[in-house]
Amino acid sequence: MAQIELRNVTKSFKTGKVLEGLSLSADEGEIVCVFGPSGVGKTVLLRLIAGVEEPDAGSIWLEGRDVTDAPPETRGVGIAFQNFALFPHMSAYDNIGSALTARGASAATIKAKVEKVAGLLKIGHVLSHAPRELSNGQKQRTALARALAADPKIVLLDDPLRNVDAKLRYEMRLELPSLLRASGATVLYVTQDYKEAMAIGDRIAVLLDGRFEQIGRPSAIYREPVSMGVARLFGDPTINLIPIRPRAGDGGATCEIGGATLALGPSHAATEGRSVLLGLRPEALSVIDAGAPGAFPVEVVAVTPLNEKTVLLMRMPDGQEIFASEAGVENEARQPGPAFARFDPARVLAFDEATGARIGGGA
Amino acid sequence: MNAVTGTRARSDAALSLQGVDKIYAPTAKAPVHAVKALNLDVRKGEIVALLGSSGCGKTSTLRMIAGFESVTSGAIALAGRRIEQLAPARRGVAMAFEGYSLYPPLTVRDNIAFALKSARLSAREVEAKVAEVAALVEIEPILDRYPSSISGGQQQRASLARALVRPAELYLLDEPMGQLEPRLRALLRGRLKRLLTERGMTSIFVTHDQTEANALADRVAVMEGGVLQQLANQTELKERPANLYVATFIGEPPMNVFDASAEVGERVRFAVADGPKLDFSANEFSEAARNVIARRRRIVIGVRPHDIRLNAGGSEAKVVSNQWLGDQTHIALDVAGKLMVTVAFSEVGAQRGETMRYEIPSGKLHVFDADTGKAISHGSEAA
Repeated sequence: MAQIELRNVTKSFKTGKVLEGLSLSADEGEIVCVFGPSGVGKTVLLRLIAGVEEPDAGSIWLEGRDVTDAPPETRGVGIAFQNFALFPHMSAYDNIGSALTARGASAATIKAKVEKVAGLLKIGHVLSHAPRELSNGQKQRTALARALAADPKIVLLDDPLRNVDAKLRYEMRLELPSLLRASGATVLYVTQDYKEAMAIGDRIAVLLDGRFEQIGRPSAIYREPVSMGVARLFGDPTINLIPIRPRAGDGGATCEIGGATLALGPSHAATEGRSVLLGLRPEALSVIDAGAPGAFPVEVVAVTPLNEKTVLLMRMPDGQEIFASEAGVENEARQPGPAFARFDPARVLAFDEATGARIGGGA
Repeated sequence: MNAVTGTRARSDAALSLQGVDKIYAPTAKAPVHAVKALNLDVRKGEIVALLGSSGCGKTSTLRMIAGFESVTSGAIALAGRRIEQLAPARRGVAMAFEGYSLYPPLTVRDNIAFALKSARLSAREVEAKVAEVAALVEIEPILDRYPSSISGGQQQRASLARALVRPAELYLLDEPMGQLEPRLRALLRGRLKRLLTERGMTSIFVTHDQTEANALADRVAVMEGGVLQQLANQTELKERPANLYVATFIGEPPMNVFDASAEVGERVRFAVADGPKLDFSANEFSEAARNVIARRRRIVIGVRPHDIRLNAGGSEAKVVSNQWLGDQTHIALDVAGKLMVTVAFSEVGAQRGETMRYEIPSGKLHVFDADTGKAISHGSEAA
């Protein structure tokens, strides 16, 4: 049974932006990341589910119950915000136990639950501290502990790693899925970091222009984005988009780039004769020194290491800049200058120039 | 005689900092020693990044070189000339700083062109140079706007353009790509690197982002607590970190480290409490390293995430997480109650909770002194 279900939820707000016809269903124990650029209404969506905002239309169902008109305190939802929002005059212990206290739980129950969740989140040693005595990382864990302490069936997390340093954010990214899973809760997790969404979410709901543009597993979203808008939000560097006009060829669609004729493969039949943007992820492009069938000429502008990869900024004959990335940084041989690039046809996507919809590549 | 004029400045050093200290409020009860005895040589045409977390001293260093901050003691020489007492405008440096703002009464175009005033160029040459640098940082559409009417990010890029356009002995850039959206940031990294390298522009930039530092810089100066921890290229920082701070700061993700005990004899053995036992042939370590390891009761061993081999060797651990990020996979194993992170460039079929074998190859082990944090040995480096 779906634990969280949105049915056609619509909400307009003062800035003129709207959430339009949002439908989503999250199963018990599932972590769904709501991902999108800032300002798309991700936080408003959480507020609607928590009950602090009301939708204009549509309904919200939690644990199989229509809660659209139910007051927030009856919804049984645990929430953590990006700014922590801890009660400043209360110790970490009292903050974590606050939902249990409000519910009238016994002191012994509160103690057991607070200590259990604090142990999981490794903040057992700071429970007596006031929020001002906690580091940002400890505050963030305290806020998470508070959201989880009352064993809510539904947990809403609003960009909880936003305000912690990069190192802790990375560690939490590794640990959070296990912690959340141990709680058994169904989780909606808002983030604007695509890596966080891919790492933490069982599924990702991509919120763009007020709509869920795509909802799916991380691998589907990355490899088979429904649109250019989704494709551009994932990847580092982001996907290259090259304007082309494919033609029918012997073995399927072909296109011309920099004077070279390149085969696109069987999944691109729908692109023939249309203006499309070829979507090439940097890791799907490889760079070779000499021309070869299926390769187009480029000028390597700069070679920049990126973590354990090497990113090549390249200029195509028409001046467009594109990226290729290669695993490993030991490739000292790579130098700026003329070269050729080729792509793996199985990993090429094509988007309709007018609508942005994917019409070639993927499954 | 002071230490820098004349012979001690290295002949190929464009910029040389010798024994530079910065103490804020030296007479106060709690003076802040922001930069400590800093020696730093930057070669002509070299790009150096000052990298560290906030409060590490990187920005104070940049501001002292620029002249926005006095040095408490020490000397700064640029192109063989002492500059630490000179006003900023007389130092021959071009700067893009937060707070070193554009002139409000001038358009963006005129702000950039104004920086070329002393270069005695024709109007057409000025126009061409402005157009080139404006294209590089993508501000062509706002060239005729006034600074007050453009966004913070655009102001930052205009300020960067103004710095890059003028001839200078040294370019000082403070978080040059702070607020850009990801695609433009990646583009700018490449374009800037090309421009600075091609024209031999000696540059120092401050960043807290090691991706930026590694992408742009020839060498990276890692700072912490006001002290220069290591100045090296990125390969060296990763393969031969000077100490535990650098080892656990550099790398995305950084090195995994574990407290361990060591036993040196025919073999060199390391044991991590409740964790792996590693056993290497003694000749994989230099004699000097063996001697140091033998004398230490407590050491720290480290291995970089990319160096761990999965489904190999005899050590086993539970998978805590397996996260595929599109172009790489990060797997965290529970080793000795800590997370040990490994990275692969393909998908790895391992479920959370499964047991997985792993190996730390002998050539990839780093050993540190647990008390001082100093590196003792890196990989196979038997002399």
